[in-house]
Amino acid sequence: MKRIVVILALLAACADPQGETPAGTLTVLQEQQAAWVRNFNPLLTTGGARWPTTSGIYEPLLVYNRAAGESVPWLATSWTWTEPALRLRFDVRPGVTWSDGAPLTAADVAFTFDVLRRFPALDGAGAWSFLAGVTAVDEHTVEFAFSRPYSPGLSLVGGQAIVPKHVWEGVADPVSFTNPDPVGTGPFTEIRRFDAQVWELGKNPRYWQPGVPKVDTLRFPAVASNDQALLALVRGEVDWAGSFVPAIERTYVDRDPAHFNYWFPAVGDTVFLYPQNATPPLDDARVREAISLAIDRKRLVRVAMHDYAKPSHPTALSDGYRAWRRDDLAPDGGWVRYDPAAAAAGLDAAGWTLGPDGRRRNAAGDALSLPILCPAGWSDWVRAAQIIARDLDAIGVDARVEGLDFSAWFDRVSRGDFALALGWSVSGPTPYAFYRSLLGSDTVKPVGTAAATNWHRHGSPAADALLAAFEATVDPAEQRRLSDALQAAFVEEAPAIPLFPTPAWGEFSTQRFEGFPDAETPYATLSPNAVPDVLLVLTQLHPRDDLQAGSR
Amino acid sequence: MSGLLRRMGLYALAAWFALTLNFLLPRMMPGDPAQALFARFQGRLEPAALEALTVTLGVSTAPLGEQYLTYLGQLVRGELGISLVYFPSPVSEVIAGGLGWTMFLAGGALVVAFTLGSVLGAVAAWRRGGWLDTVAPPLLSFLGAFPYFWLAMAAVWLLGFQLGWFPVRHAYGPEVQPGFTLAFAASAVRHALLPGATMVLASLGGWVLTMRNAMMGVLDDEPIRFAQARGLPPARVFFHYGVRNALLPSLTSFGMAFGFVLSGALLTEIVFAYPGQGYLLLQAVRGQDYPLLQGLFLTITLAVLAANALVDVVVVLLDPRTRG
Repeated sequence: MKRIVVILALLAACADPQGETPAGTLTVLQEQQAAWVRNFNPLLTTGGARWPTTSGIYEPLLVYNRAAGESVPWLATSWTWTEPALRLRFDVRPGVTWSDGAPLTAADVAFTFDVLRRFPALDGAGAWSFLAGVTAVDEHTVEFAFSRPYSPGLSLVGGQAIVPKHVWEGVADPVSFTNPDPVGTGPFTEIRRFDAQVWELGKNPRYWQPGVPKVDTLRFPAVASNDQALLALVRGEVDWAGSFVPAIERTYVDRDPAHFNYWFPAVGDTVFLYPQNATPPLDDARVREAISLAIDRKRLVRVAMHDYAKPSHPTALSDGYRAWRRDDLAPDGGWVRYDPAAAAAGLDAAGWTLGPDGRRRNAAGDALSLPILCPAGWSDWVRAAQIIARDLDAIGVDARVEGLDFSAWFDRVSRGDFALALGWSVSGPTPYAFYRSLLGSDTVKPVGTAAATNWHRHGSPAADALLAAFEATVDPAEQRRLSDALQAAFVEEAPAIPLFPTPAWGEFSTQRFEGFPDAETPYATLSPNAVPDVLLVLTQLHPRDDLQAGSR
Repeated sequence: MSGLLRRMGLYALAAWFALTLNFLLPRMMPGDPAQALFARFQGRLEPAALEALTVTLGVSTAPLGEQYLTYLGQLVRGELGISLVYFPSPVSEVIAGGLGWTMFLAGGALVVAFTLGSVLGAVAAWRRGGWLDTVAPPLLSFLGAFPYFWLAMAAVWLLGFQLGWFPVRHAYGPEVQPGFTLAFAASAVRHALLPGATMVLASLGGWVLTMRNAMMGVLDDEPIRFAQARGLPPARVFFHYGVRNALLPSLTSFGMAFGFVLSGALLTEIVFAYPGQGYLLLQAVRGQDYPLLQGLFLTITLAVLAANALVDVVVVLLDPRTRG
């Protein structure tokens, strides 16, 4: 017994607080994993590759900056449509080398897209649904020929991570390749350490931006829960994170107000209450509008989202689309304002009148009953659904929350087997992809067939014409006019009920590093979850000046 | 001996039944893996990716019987397939990352809890009505009645975070590299102390009570009184006549509990961010990762069966009555 006590005492003696992180090592929490699996294949669509493989180890031609709403030239110095919406030419940046010393050329770009063509499993953006061919015109020029006019293809092609031909042409099956020792062009390419619970990514000494990166090593500890992430944040062990933190001012910022910061810009995807449009009574736009008017979104974001989010814009566009968004459509908030009286009037007009029992019924005597589907474990969404159910109950609609296991929820939502359901939405650089998934007839699948998007099953012939015209034009003024018309069509047809845009979670500590974007210097989105924007941040971060010069 | 053989035959049958169930259960869940994976991205993937994922994961549409034969064939060859959540890493590789740590932490905690609990229980019964007998069983049952999650969180918050006596996460510190060094071993033990202690604390009460009650029954038996009357030394009576017989029921529970070592450390591993395989199980269920699920269940099933088989052998050695 005495011996055990001695051993315990010895162990406690060497229990100095976790070994000091070396200067120049930036600790990041992005993925929630209990143990790391070594995978750096940037072409995988399964998300099996470690962050930041696609935007850190490897890089795309363009980086879309959702905070500024513009595309930043990256591995390409410029691009031109040699034939509008049909032929696209990129000038590949000269002087860029792979981390093994070989130069980056247009052949690497053409090769990357050839791999996507040969292995459709890797073509997550569906590039070959609109591409006809990719050719390296000369060493630094690559040309994309489209099979049909498709201007949104620019961001899809420009966002693809480029892999080196001289390495990947030797890979027999790039789909099952884990790429354990990556060769990339990015700011961080060197795997310095890889264990189950921590791995480290060192900087690329040959990086093409002079003097960048200023951070020597990125460290990734494996953390599987929000509680553990918060603990690490509060102890100052983490410099940059993208996790949800409840009551952040009190739990995090107050611990070290001089250094702990957060920024939750509303640039994430908009959360919707999807009404299934194919089946009565929700095939009636008046009923959908009435439901929208009955929801008290201010209370909803306060209770369900800790006031981190704000009520949706009438066009459902998040702050990521500020440059496109129309404020003239519904100055008073329009159909997303809280107005139970108008909601009740709308339901009356649609034929659902209040009976003596306080429930609304149609002429046939059927009660208006609309269950709300929601993943059971998602506490924020469950609270949101409960508030909606209560608001609907107040105007005589029988709405109860039906919480389902995540995969069961997704299965029913994607098959259109619901009346009302909470769900996320698609986002992209322009409102095109967003509204296509909400209104486009070609995204409508029959009820019972799983759909990747347009779960509410709404096709709009008017929007189809606008979407097709958008695909065919590369003129920004014309695109704006079409986007304006799409927004009007969305508000008019009310296919899905927007609730709030999701904040992009991001926390940082300036105890050791500086250069993070925040509300004052919004040069990019802070959240490490926002790819490829992270490249903008990774190349800006630097150790604190006073620490660099100091004795540390 | 034939009794032992019959037992082993039963174990083989149980193993086959478990393997078949293992095959069927994940396939009865709604949705398919490509959908589940697509859903995890919550709209950050292009809709076209759903098709790409279906192609990648090769979601099988073959008849169930054919899939079953393929599955059995793979098992015989020791192939567990490719994980879907951690695509394209082989399941064996994914599991290997955490299995060792789970065995170390949960297995260690079980052995400590079993040993400590049995000793305390035996001593409590030997000195019936003594202070240990009065205090230990109710106190430990009280502690064991706390929800484990709460107990673990409280330990992390108080002992790890507020007082800083123990590391709050991981199996070893970031300053050491895994290897056969003293520094690494010390770090690993130090990191296992707090999560291990919570697991021991949560389960100790059960072991103490089982052992104490069994020991009480044994101590009242004729052979003990006869041994005492013969003037044998108390230590010999205690161990040879008392503990040896009283241990049998506890030993059976030990075999059962061993199986839960591999699956039941889930909460511990999440709270303490321990890189074991409990969290993998959760990931696999969420991602409908059939191959990973099957691999995990396989290791758990085989561990339970192996532990029970081992216990059977030990019981035969300890208890002459079972040598039929």
